[in-house]
Amino acid sequence: MFDAFFFVGLPYVALAALVLGTAYRARKHRFTQSALSSQFLESRTLVWGAVAWHAGIFVVLAGHAAAILSPGLWRALTSNYAFLISVEILGIAAAILALIGLCVLLVRRIASPKLQAVTTIADFAVLALLIGQVLIGLGVAIAYRWGAVWSTQTVTPYLWSLFSLQPDVALVTALPPMMKLHLIGAWLIVLLIPFTRLVHMFFFPIGYLVRVPQKVVWATRRRFEQNLAIRHADDSRRYFLKTLGGLGAAGALLSLGVFDKLVRFFSGPVMAAEEETELLRKKLNRLEQAAKERELELERLRSDYIVVANLNELSPTEGKYFIDYEMRPALAFRGGDGLPLLISAKCTHLGCTVASTMDSQGRILCPCHISYFDVKTGQPNPGSPAKAPLPHIGWVLMDPAGTVVASQNPAGRLEGEVDMSRVNEYRVCIAKKFGGLA
Amino acid sequence: MAIVPIRGGWEGLKDAVAERLPVEKFNYKSLVQKKEVPVHRAAWAYYLGGLVLFCLMIQLVTGVMLLFYYQPTVSDAHASVEYITKHVSGGALIRNLHTWAASGMIFFLLCHLITTFAMKAFEKPREITWISGVLLLLITFTFGFTGYLLPWHQIAVNATKVGLQSIEEAGNYLPGALSEMPARIKELIQGEAAVGQATLSRFYAIHVVFLPLAVLALVGVHLLGVQLHGMSQGVDKPSGKTERFFPFFVLKDFSLWGLVFLAAFIVALCLPFEAFFSYPLFAPYDALGSTPDGIKPEWYFYFVYYPLELLPFWVVALAQMVVVGILFAAPWIFKGTSRKTLTAIAAAAAAYLIVITLFGQQIYEFFKGHA
Repeated sequence: MFDAFFFVGLPYVALAALVLGTAYRARKHRFTQSALSSQFLESRTLVWGAVAWHAGIFVVLAGHAAAILSPGLWRALTSNYAFLISVEILGIAAAILALIGLCVLLVRRIASPKLQAVTTIADFAVLALLIGQVLIGLGVAIAYRWGAVWSTQTVTPYLWSLFSLQPDVALVTALPPMMKLHLIGAWLIVLLIPFTRLVHMFFFPIGYLVRVPQKVVWATRRRFEQNLAIRHADDSRRYFLKTLGGLGAAGALLSLGVFDKLVRFFSGPVMAAEEETELLRKKLNRLEQAAKERELELERLRSDYIVVANLNELSPTEGKYFIDYEMRPALAFRGGDGLPLLISAKCTHLGCTVASTMDSQGRILCPCHISYFDVKTGQPNPGSPAKAPLPHIGWVLMDPAGTVVASQNPAGRLEGEVDMSRVNEYRVCIAKKFGGLA
Repeated sequence: MAIVPIRGGWEGLKDAVAERLPVEKFNYKSLVQKKEVPVHRAAWAYYLGGLVLFCLMIQLVTGVMLLFYYQPTVSDAHASVEYITKHVSGGALIRNLHTWAASGMIFFLLCHLITTFAMKAFEKPREITWISGVLLLLITFTFGFTGYLLPWHQIAVNATKVGLQSIEEAGNYLPGALSEMPARIKELIQGEAAVGQATLSRFYAIHVVFLPLAVLALVGVHLLGVQLHGMSQGVDKPSGKTERFFPFFVLKDFSLWGLVFLAAFIVALCLPFEAFFSYPLFAPYDALGSTPDGIKPEWYFYFVYYPLELLPFWVVALAQMVVVGILFAAPWIFKGTSRKTLTAIAAAAAAYLIVITLFGQQIYEFFKGHA
């Protein structure tokens, strides 16, 4: 009942009032069709209020319009995370700007006795409603983040259901109360448009955007022209001094802040004991890791054989990473015949390290550009970015005493006898004589 | 100005150099008192070069500050960057400022390149300024590439590997003994068989010493050219309106710098550059593990990265060489071209850059299916 009234009844009443009321006002009261200017009475704060408000709300409404008018394109755009973040930041910033503008406008109307004379109840009502609406909108944007995305699935279809005369309240009933309030506020504003100063939004003074700014000056022509030359000279001097002063002040403030930061930056952090311990432990870990890599390198220079793993540790589907004689990553599997299967893990396309888990078709994946390599043959799948196969690596089986039991060169030629009953004793090694790769 | 007859030989060369480097203008009167900037529809483009310079200044200052804590070794690089962002007072701000201003510098540099091209600013006698500018462009990209490796996290090292490997790729298209050259060049840059400590040291030296010196020298030449010749007229039919360089243009320039600094500062304060990627990519590089998903270069390399993913290597390599060649030879190739045509070319280039940078991933998935 509540939903039907606010989200179907009210919208249609508001839209009907908007169309009929605006048309009536346009025909019968042409000259009231503007926001009655109060610039004569007070122009100093007006600039800060009116410009901020209009600039802010223009950006905000442009965002709303994009999400409503072409939700498909908007969804595609916002699926790009960077774009989404930028849109949200821009929208919130614009809303804050609009809010500041509204507040300035409100304070100005309250504070100036001259303005009170020309201010109607409707003006206050409009200002209050707009402030409320922007505040609630900001609240929604902050409390229910990524409105730019979810609105295209809820509010946009709802609005289109209204426009296509098949209202569907189900789309908005589940929305949080704050968002419902925002919708109701929107319809109230639409309803008020034809009866208040808001109607000026349909009376675009587009020409104002490009014409030279005008300000009526009460002066005789002669006085005006006399003043003009003086004012020009004054203006340019004032402009220069103002800018210089502004830049100077900004520079001074900036250098003060920067100096403070600089001193702190260079004096280094003061850390709690735990933090310091944690940091040192981490650094030590990294050093040990680097040392281990150095050791690997040295080992490869010195030894003729390097142990990769015990044969029974190897799995047929989950490869074990090791480093080959040329310090490149490689994987060790256990082949179907129970013998080791050693294959390079350096993708033949652009050198990424291939992942170690075999899929159901016996292939391993290079995640960089999606090439699947068959472990048995080393061949990449047809059409993959990698063209050359991953080379196999030769291996040697050793018994605990260190004697070579069997070996296979990179080309796949097996030498020696493997006693399958002693599999648990064997260690898999790579051998210098086989070099790195085939 | 007196009409000088065209002379040949040694004298002719001297004339040509004198025309391009009018050092007689190097005085207070022509540089400060008399200098004017044209006023027309496209005059906003005169501010872009200044913005690049400003970003460079931010880079130099924040770069030196980072140097106080950064340690260029494979064991310590990642930890020292983390130390800067987590522990040093204001360190995160300085580092974010460095990365954001780097992006800003490349962004403004591309805008500057496109607008100066459209405005035919390379016309005689400004060839030296133009060529130094193109060199600065290449150096800036090298800055980006070398700086990317320094934090020594997964995405940095793996993206560098891929980048370097594509040099080797060129070998497949060269005949005979030449086909070994690219691999040699790659190893020369890399310093060892795989990307490791030697590569880090080299990139560090290039990023921190070599390139800054080169940039300072070239920026000197570039600015000298701009100051001696003044701004180029920029449009086919000059309006005749000008404004004083000093103080008006300079003040506006500085105000703009102030705004850009404010924006960069706020962004650096709230948004780490890494916010746009997922974490595993920023874990320390693990030589023994597999490469994580989503390895990509910085956004300013997308314009060559995505074509490389989609097209055969030689097409992209050739196109790249042609474009760089055209950039260097622009003053002579486009001697008689009207600014209208140049603007159309520049607009097409800009459209390509914008589309491929924003929607490269979508285009890639459209052609290659979901990755």
